[in-house]
Amino acid sequence: MIRIKCPICGLRNETEFTYGADATVKRPEMGEQEQQPWVDYVFNRDNPRGWHKEYWHHVQGCRQWVVLERNTLTHEIGECKLAREVEQ
Amino acid sequence: MLELCSPLNSKLQAGRFGAQGETGIALGGRPVRDLWQIAGWGDFEAAAIEVLSDLGLCGLGSYSLASRAKGRTAWRIAPDKILIENAGNLSDYMSANLATLDLSHARTVILLSGTQARDVLSQLIAIDVTETAFPEGRFLQTGIHHVGVLIQCMGQNAFEIYAPVTWAETVWEVICENAKPFGVEIVAD
Repeated sequence: MIRIKCPICGLRNETEFTYGADATVKRPEMGEQEQQPWVDYVFNRDNPRGWHKEYWHHVQGCRQWVVLERNTLTHEIGECKLAREVEQ
Repeated sequence: MLELCSPLNSKLQAGRFGAQGETGIALGGRPVRDLWQIAGWGDFEAAAIEVLSDLGLCGLGSYSLASRAKGRTAWRIAPDKILIENAGNLSDYMSANLATLDLSHARTVILLSGTQARDVLSQLIAIDVTETAFPEGRFLQTGIHHVGVLIQCMGQNAFEIYAPVTWAETVWEVICENAKPFGVEIVAD
């Protein structure tokens, strides 16, 4: 079982959350003319083994988006911050 | 004239159900009274504090402890969202920094009490609801049977569960089924 420490609600079961997206992806500058950065942004994702940052939504709680550190190998959970407080 | 009725009308039939002997659970319901949500952007905190102080409530409150004053209750449910019951009409506070929304017809309250109330809750949600972890005055937002609810602890063995009216019957049925092994008394008005 994964338990996530929501900054608003405290320690909760993972079933209260839904996975959103890879939180390491950066949108290219709006003036970017090359196609490849946009293709990478929209379609291409790494599949890391180990620690990773992800967006999760606390849908059965405070309904806030959080950025969660999760180890994809061990499912260990690291830091969890409100997405609004994480610098893009 | 439309007559407002509780979504739990068909459920709130007084009687005893489940295990025989002493009843460990009492279930009831009540309508919410002037439940408003205030939410905002930018300078939300200053705008919200103005509303709250006009209502006699101090500060923005915490994410787990309800603020109470003058018969009103406020729950800070997110950094820029607060629910207030018995708030009167807050529509005049609408501004560029503050959105007000009347949720009085969108929520209903299920009353759960009795010596076994915490046992029933612990079957329904994966959160520590012992008296030490969840004492009187505290609230939590979670899901019962995948329906988002707010649970307010009203006393040692008493809870108010704010559920969306559209899912209130489902939440009621799940609570009732889990309570039957303890013996349930349904208390109608």
